[in-house]
Amino acid sequence: MSDAGTPSEPVAIPPQEDFPVEWASADEEKIPWQLDLMHFNNAMPPLEGEFWAQFIDGVGLGMEHFEMPLQVAAKPFNYWLYYGVFPRFPPEQMEEQSKRSDEVVMATIYRLQERWDDEWLPEIKAQIEEWDAFDVAAASTADLRAHLSEMWEGAHRLADIHFQIIIPVYIALSLLDELYNDLFSDGVFESQKLFQGFDNKTMEVGRALWDLSRKARASGGVRKIFEEHSPGDVLNALAESDDGRAFAKELDDFLNSHGKRMSDWGIRHESWIEDPSPVLVNLKDYIQQEGDPDAELEERAAERIDAITAVRERLQGYPSHVRDEFERLLKAAATAVVLSEDHGYWIDFQSTYRVRRVIVEIGERLAQAGTVATAADVFFLRTDEITPALGASPAPDHTGVVEARKKEMEHFGSVKPPLFMGTDYGPPPPDLLSTALGKFFGAPAEQDNAADTVAGNAGSPGKFRGTARVVRSLDEADKLGVGEILVAETTSPSWTPLFATAAGIVTDTGGILSHCAVVAREYRIPAVVGTGVATSTIRDGQTIEVDGDAGRVHLID
Amino acid sequence: MTIVWLDDTGCQEVSRVGGKVAHLSRLAAEYQVPPGFCLTTSAFREWAGHEGGSAEEFPSELLRQLSDAYGELARRSDVERPSVAVRSSAIDEDGRFASFAGQYETYLNLEGDAAVAAAVLRCWHSTRTERVTEYRDRAGLADERLEMAVLVQELVPADSSAVIFSANPVTQNRDEVVINASWGLGESIVGGTVNPDTFTLDKRDLTVTESKISEKKVMTVRARDGTEEVPVPRFMRSHPTLSDDQLVAMARLAMRLEDEMGWPVDLESAYCGEELYLLQCRQITTLTELDQS
Repeated sequence: MSDAGTPSEPVAIPPQEDFPVEWASADEEKIPWQLDLMHFNNAMPPLEGEFWAQFIDGVGLGMEHFEMPLQVAAKPFNYWLYYGVFPRFPPEQMEEQSKRSDEVVMATIYRLQERWDDEWLPEIKAQIEEWDAFDVAAASTADLRAHLSEMWEGAHRLADIHFQIIIPVYIALSLLDELYNDLFSDGVFESQKLFQGFDNKTMEVGRALWDLSRKARASGGVRKIFEEHSPGDVLNALAESDDGRAFAKELDDFLNSHGKRMSDWGIRHESWIEDPSPVLVNLKDYIQQEGDPDAELEERAAERIDAITAVRERLQGYPSHVRDEFERLLKAAATAVVLSEDHGYWIDFQSTYRVRRVIVEIGERLAQAGTVATAADVFFLRTDEITPALGASPAPDHTGVVEARKKEMEHFGSVKPPLFMGTDYGPPPPDLLSTALGKFFGAPAEQDNAADTVAGNAGSPGKFRGTARVVRSLDEADKLGVGEILVAETTSPSWTPLFATAAGIVTDTGGILSHCAVVAREYRIPAVVGTGVATSTIRDGQTIEVDGDAGRVHLID
Repeated sequence: MTIVWLDDTGCQEVSRVGGKVAHLSRLAAEYQVPPGFCLTTSAFREWAGHEGGSAEEFPSELLRQLSDAYGELARRSDVERPSVAVRSSAIDEDGRFASFAGQYETYLNLEGDAAVAAAVLRCWHSTRTERVTEYRDRAGLADERLEMAVLVQELVPADSSAVIFSANPVTQNRDEVVINASWGLGESIVGGTVNPDTFTLDKRDLTVTESKISEKKVMTVRARDGTEEVPVPRFMRSHPTLSDDQLVAMARLAMRLEDEMGWPVDLESAYCGEELYLLQCRQITTLTELDQS
């Protein structure tokens, strides 16, 4: 907390030679640009970059709602998405603004459930319904063009809601954690027990998949198909027997209710409905496993109730201010921890799936018209290129542009992009949001000099020694065997089903409140998050020991 | 009478309950003092006469009366097992001995009659320690002149505690009320382990003329079988302990007592919810010289 509150002199960050950037304006250069590797750890095509830049604009809208004295910029540079958070007021006004904002945030924190039930969720669902009412395949190209711009606006509004939810959600969890640790300093994970064991959409999908795996196990023929075929061949094999066809029907039902999500973050990835491979990989693993997710959830809920009872007992002799604040934050956290997953289900998956659906259709129309070579090439165009091209006669030819951009993206995808660009303002003064974000993104881990240790943040308690599997994308998910340790740059919510297969988790990004850490605790597997270097240090197949309590990974061989 | 209630006039006889308890009893008649009762010198004599005063044994008839009184306290405070403070009050004729022996025996946050009885026994027995006996012998004080009363009083689960001065003890300004306040029970302020908030009020119009809000790092809370000094959570550390309304109520209380006593007072007080409790009232000794001149 050095220099807290006193803004240090801004320093221009020297450019990285293999990552040339031309600033669009002098103001742009003054922004403290940074990478968010927890969410955007790959180069992305232009349309995806445009989508996410607009999405991140929602952070700024959220901040405005809470009268935070900060603003946000987001932009893809060389196919990597950068964002910057910087002051909205002169330094002398920041503290006063920040105090005012704290009050606005707190008022929302105490009413999270009402706002979700009465405002946010109904609006999200209404938007999804409206999008579903649009018949994509039957629409004329002109309708499609109009729909694209409406949809882009709708997605912007959902991004706004997304951060109206996210900001108080993570501040609520962080504040309960702070209060607990101020009162009783008895271990990093103790406070987390106060909000564990709640059901949420992520767990619900995980359980539905588990139930499906029980059905596969119950039928000897189906089990055999999964055991003897690679995930890619399972569907064909299922079609050859009655049992198999019956199970394929169950699988379809599952995909219809839970498959409206991309295999990974963002619109360029295929949905489970388009390509059910991730589901088949998970099923193959689950079929080998015993367990009872319902009982496990109940157990964690019982632990939570015990932890809460113990705190209430300890607080009996405390001033009522402490007890009241504890109860308020406990209530807020109970909602917050569910919303930390469910907002993603509704916005990042359900809504974004609808966006992709339209983009893919547009891609097909453009491919038919010869503007692009294949439907998927549409992701290499920007909306200001797509809109005029739709229905234009003669159809413009963008195939050359697409090819050039693909090459360029491939090039920058292999470059290690700078973590920071533009201007460095030093660490921000600590406030509610930065403290919460610190626990979400994780403090950068300081690596010990010991060559056989990787340091990170404590994510989920417990120790496990086993085989490391470095999984760089979900396409490689079938590498991970039951009881092995998942080593990944980051794990978006789409990775969650793998947590039932893994016996330990190590990531490059994240803090104790990151999605990965929260879900690992629900799955009761040790996790070390935010190492920064795990995927580049740990070898695939290496024996390692994950010490979730200490936030350390020991390399054994 | 072996047990008398604080709000009974019988509790105002100095020779039976000691000066401090008698004074508190007079206050209890008019002010909101936490309810309690006193085991008088008669109870002490009964214990002392019973097998010469054992450290382990409570005379059975007395124990029954103590249990009844605790039960009555539970009814009065509307709590099943009220938390109480047990404090000794030694009595001797010339007062010299009292200042030495057993004056400071205090047991906080006891629940249930068994725990109370054990604490009372410890108070009584403190008159028999080697240190006391030695002092008594050296001072040539007669055995029977030392007696002890024991006060059992509900321990207010204070949200905040304060010492209120009806005159400014530093500047000696008699037109000001000065309030030192901090979170939890009063032990952290009295013991000086916390840097309390300091509020100054103008007696003439009861306006708060100065609020010095300090960073209050610790507080005393009730813990199992006693009290404990614990860290104050950050959200409360730099938060004012008292609202303006509470400050005015405290200033009024101090001014009324000053009026009644005829001298500047310092009070120990506590807020529990919206209730203001008076725990102690003393003369501000640093102002005495000023009064005399």
